[in-house]
Parts: sequence; structure tokens; C-alpha cells
Amino acid sequence: MSDVAFVILAFMIAVYILLDGYDLGVGALAPFIARNEDDRAAAMHAIGPYYSGNEVWLIAAGGISFALFPLAYASAFSGFYLPFMVVLWMLMFRGIAMEVREHFPSPLWHTFWDAAFSLSSGILILLFGVTIGNLVRGLPLHASGFFFGTFAFLLNPYALVVGIFAVAALVQHGATFLSMVAEDELAARARGAILWLWYVVLALYVVVTLWTLAIRPIVATRPWLALVALLSIAAFVGLRLRLQSNARAIPFVCSTIFLASLFVAAAATLYPYLLPEYGNATGGLTIYAASASPSAMSWGIGAALVGLVLVGTYSALAFRRLNTPV
Amino acid sequence: MDVVTVDRIQFAFTVMFHYLFPIGTLGLGPFIAWYVYRANSGDRESDSIARFLTKIFAINFAAGVVTGIPMEFQFGTNWSVFSARSGSVVGQPLALEGMYAFFLESVFLGILIYGKNRVSPRWYTASAFCVWIGSWISGFFIVATNAWMQHPVGYHVATGGQIELDSIAAVLFSPFAWWQFAHVIVSAALAGGFIVAGVGSYYLLAGREESIGRRFVRAGALVAFIASALVIFPTGDRNGHDVTIYQPIKLAAMEGLFETKRGAPLAIIGMPDVNTHTLIDPVFVPRFLSFLAYGNFDANVDGLTNYATVLWPPVELTYYAYHVMVGLGTIFLGISALAVLLLWRKRLDTTRAMLWALMLLMPFPYIAIESGWVTSEVGRQPWIIYGLMRTSEGVSANVPTGEVLFTLIGFAGMYFVLGVTFLYLTLRTIGLGPSHE
Repeated sequence: MSDVAFVILAFMIAVYILLDGYDLGVGALAPFIARNEDDRAAAMHAIGPYYSGNEVWLIAAGGISFALFPLAYASAFSGFYLPFMVVLWMLMFRGIAMEVREHFPSPLWHTFWDAAFSLSSGILILLFGVTIGNLVRGLPLHASGFFFGTFAFLLNPYALVVGIFAVAALVQHGATFLSMVAEDELAARARGAILWLWYVVLALYVVVTLWTLAIRPIVATRPWLALVALLSIAAFVGLRLRLQSNARAIPFVCSTIFLASLFVAAAATLYPYLLPEYGNATGGLTIYAASASPSAMSWGIGAALVGLVLVGTYSALAFRRLNTPV
Repeated sequence: MDVVTVDRIQFAFTVMFHYLFPIGTLGLGPFIAWYVYRANSGDRESDSIARFLTKIFAINFAAGVVTGIPMEFQFGTNWSVFSARSGSVVGQPLALEGMYAFFLESVFLGILIYGKNRVSPRWYTASAFCVWIGSWISGFFIVATNAWMQHPVGYHVATGGQIELDSIAAVLFSPFAWWQFAHVIVSAALAGGFIVAGVGSYYLLAGREESIGRRFVRAGALVAFIASALVIFPTGDRNGHDVTIYQPIKLAAMEGLFETKRGAPLAIIGMPDVNTHTLIDPVFVPRFLSFLAYGNFDANVDGLTNYATVLWPPVELTYYAYHVMVGLGTIFLGISALAVLLLWRKRLDTTRAMLWALMLLMPFPYIAIESGWVTSEVGRQPWIIYGLMRTSEGVSANVPTGEVLFTLIGFAGMYFVLGVTFLYLTLRTIGLGPSHE
């Protein structure tokens, strides 16, 4: 049952990363490809209708982790106290920037709010990446299952590299989204950004993969992960090869598959731990130890599955009806 | 200050600030559904009104989301021991809120804002109703979470001290939760009514948007009147009974009743003094507290001194918050009843004194509702889960006090910016007016 719950939670976090990922990526990318005020406005309008709905996945994933893995939820969030507070403030700042930019008449204000949006988007991606890096690397857990993350511990080279990789990969993800929905010229410049970003992502992909194999050799004992790696490589190459394709959705789909397979790899590296212990390959908080009581698990899993089907159905219906290019 | 105090202040501050925005969405949801429905049957003015209210709703929703995310994660960051021990139960309604209400609200709000010319009128109307229902379901799950902490049901305590779920039905269908939810919802409807009436009064007094202003004043006053009555009876009364039965110490603190009394009086005014166990300068209604609590003028009501002082909540705060809430509730009923009387005499939109009163009344439902929150939450101290777990036992032991103080100040700064922005956007939208849509 804990395994099912782990899959549900991982799925919801993955959906959050893929969905909010593109709007965070567009936010961080915008100042680099926008020549003027109009371009920035176009980039913001492309994600405006979706970003708030995308963030709901973060809230839903948070609720599910609380209900199904209370001990892991309590330990992770109190342990990452300051970084998570910065995440909350950045989410807030970003929301304010998005909502108010239209309401200030002066272009100078627009520039300010756009910069605020981009900066907070970039910091959020970096912090999410650093968090994933630390989860894979392990945490200084006490016997009680709790820990307190200091800067010196959390901002280690491995986690920082994962953070930078996350920034590059999600900015690329955002660029594929823009190239899909924006009008011709902005879309062309988004594709232009991918031309060089792709090499950055490639270099970081190699570094992160090798480094992860070095500190978590557990990957080697799960041979099916090679298939996931192959899939991610195929999607990554496909993204580049089909960049100029007439079907504008293809690079975005490739980027989505690429990120999803990376996330599956990260989740598989963790399993069966939710919070592995640093420096101890067989220690940490497992999904079994962190699980809620059995009746809470069976109820929570059932409710989550039914809920996901419902949400998927009406979201798909709604967005198909809304789906016209910006 | 110790870490528990700082954690409590941070939670109270962030949740009270957050609560301001759901008041707007819960209260305006039904109005939007109504005007979208009217617009669908060909009324062009209703269409402008619906767009206008949707804009204000959207500002409230966005502020509610960004201040709501910290609420959900603070259970983990600041109250990790509480979360780890009770997550099997407390996590359930919170998870349900995300899955079953929040998505509904956000997906269909997207259609309401961006989909006017992209979806069919039927879809559009359905979306408006989904947003309304979504916001109310969302409110239910949050209240159900709180109600369980006020009056835990459907659980058992395992040998390791973990609180485990026995029956989700007992948690979700607890009468305590439903009466609390009813009170919260009608108070939000009251706020919604007074907001709409207040904005309409502003337009009429300013001599602009007159047709829409009149519709706002009429509809708002009517809703405010009905909701003001329901806030007091039956929902307020039922909540009072639940407190009497399940949280007698809170009742005593709310009423400033130190000594146990047969035929206890109701204090209308007075200042509780915890040191001397007296109510300074009181104005009493004789024997009325016994009647309100037990339906019997001679009933025995427990005073605070019946209980050990370690079980007392902060008495003054509970007492004042409760009296502010009840006092304002009475004023709301009086003014809205007068407004409805004028409406019936067809003089509401021309009675300038009433329009002034309605306009100036706008902030007060917020104050009353926040006071209700303080009564309910401060009044149940020292418990985080009533009778089961002390608030002091629930905090994150691994997070140092200074760190929490730092984030508390950070939240204060962040929320100052957010509050100013919110006011600016809301006032600007009202200033532009519905005809602008």
C-alpha cells in the first residue's frame, strides 16, 4: 500500500514539475529572449491563464504527502525550514508580480514587475533543484526521523549542480512551451534560445548522471533504469532534431518526456526511501516507516485515485474548450 | 519569547491574513453564479456585473492561493510533531481539499476569466457554478480539519502515541464540523452581501454607475439581512451549544465567568481581570447566560475557577474577541433589517444616511469574522487537539526560536506588500467600475 502511495505522490509531484515547470521556465527565460516590452507581455500572457492552476498541483501534492506520509512531511518541511520559507515567499512575490503588472500604466513598472517575476521564477527552480539534489544525496537524519538543514549542508556542490541543471532544463522546457504557443517571432527566438541551451543541458545532464551514479550506486542494481535513461536520451535528441518541425507541439512533448523520465529516475533512486540518510546507503526514512495508519492509507489512496481521475477528466475537457493559440 | 509563542504568533498572523481572502471568494461566489446565470438569459447589464465581480473574485483568489500555500506547509515546517502524530487524520481533509475542491475552483475560474468567448454560454454558466461550489467545498474541508482539532472524533491513539484514523465518515460527518461550517459560510455570505451593498452605495453616493449601484445595494442588503439572521440563529446558537458541551472552559472565558453560578448572568460589557477573578465594570443581563447555554434560566454554568489555571485559555483575548464578534453581529442584523425595511418601502437607494452606513460598514464583517477566529482558536488553548495534545507539544523541536522569529518578520514584510497590492488592485477595479467591463 505504501508503494502505491509512493507512486501517487511521485506522480503528483511530477505533474507539478512538468506543469509549473514550463511557466517557471518561461518566467526565467523571458528577459533573455524578449527584445522589448511587447515581447515580455506576450510571454507573460502565454502563461497567465495557467500558472495559478499549475500551482494547485503543489498544494494537492502537499496535502497528499501530509495525509499519506505524515512523518516524512513533518520531517522534510521542518528540516528544510528556511529554504522552504524562501520558496513560499518567492511563490508569493511571483504571484504578486504576475497579477499586478497589467494594472500599472507605466512601462517602467512593467519592467520592474517582469524582472521580479523572472528572478523569483529562477530562484524557485534553483531551490526545487537543490531540494531534489539533497534528497538524492541524503539528509543528516537523527534517530527520531527529524533533522535540521544548515546552509553549509544543504548548499553542497552536488545539490547546487542539480539545482543549476534544473534551471537549465526547465528554462529549456519553458522555451519549448513558448515556441509552441507564442506567435511567430517570439516563438522563433525561443527556438533560437534552445539551440544553445540544449548544449548546456547536455553537459549538465552528463555531469549529474555520472555524479549521481557515483554517490548512489543503487541505480546500478535496477537495470530497468537503463531503459528510462534511454528514453530520456531519445526525447532529448528528438527535441533538438525536431525543433524546426511544423508540428509545434513536438519539442514541448519531447521536453515533457525528457523531464518525466529524469524524475522517474530520481524517484527510483530514492525508493524505498523518502528521506535517505546521508553517508549511509541503507539508512533513512522509508516509505513504510513514514506511512499513515492503515485505514488512513487505504482511504487516502482511494480518494486520491478517484480525485485524480475526476480532475484529469474535467481539466482535459475544460482546457480543450479553451485551447486556442494565444 | 519561547519557540511555542513565536510559532503561535506566526501561525495566527499568517492564517488570519489568509482568511481575509477566502471571505471574499466564499461571499462573492454565489453572486457571480447568479449574475452569470442572469446574463445568460440576455441581460447585458448582468454580464458587466458578472465580469466586474469575477475580477474582484480573481484578485481575492490569487491572494488566497499565495497566502494559502504557507498555511498548508506550516503544519510541516512549524508544527512537525503535531503533523507527524496526527497526519493520518488531519491530513485527510486537507488532501481532500486539494483534490476535490481546489482544482475545481481553479480550473473553472480559468474559464470564467479567459473563456467568455471561447466556450458555449451553458459551459460558461456551469463554470460559474463550479467556482462557487468549489470554493464552498474547499471551505468545508478546511473547517472540517479545524473542527476535528476542536472536537476530535473517529480516531484512536496507538501505543506509540500516533493518532490513527478509525472512520473518515465520523470525521467528515461530525455535527460539530457541519455547524461550524454553516456558521463560517453564512458569515462569509454576510460579508459578501455587505461588500456588494457597500460598493453599490459608493456608486450611488458618488453619482455614477447608478443603475448597477441600485442593483448592488438591493441585492447586497437582502443577502446581508438573511445571512445576518442565520449567523445568529441557528448557526451561532448551535456553535454556542457545542462549546457549552465540549469546551466549557472556553465558554467561561468567552463570557468572563470566573465563578460557577446557577442562573448565570450574561455580560454585555465589562473587563475581565484574571488576577482578581472579577469582571470590572460589568453590565449584566440577569440569568441570560444560563438560558443561552442550556435553554433554562436557572441552569448551572461552570466558571473558570472550576478548572486548574493551566487549562485556562488567555481569558482577556477570548473574552474581547467574542464580544467584538457578537456586538458587530448584532449591529449587522440591526442595520441590514433597517435596509430591508427601506427596500420594502422603496426608499433604500435614496436614503443617503443608509447608503453612507452601508458603505462605511464594509470592513466590519472582516473584523467580526477575524474576531470569531480568535474566539474559537485562542479560546481552545492550551490544546492543539482538544483534550489530546497540548499546543506546546506540537511544535517543530528541530527549528530554533530565532529562525521562526526571522520568518515571522519576513511574513510581516511580505504580507505588507501583498496587502497594499491587494487594496490597490481592489480599489482600482471598483474605481473603474462595472461599465468599464
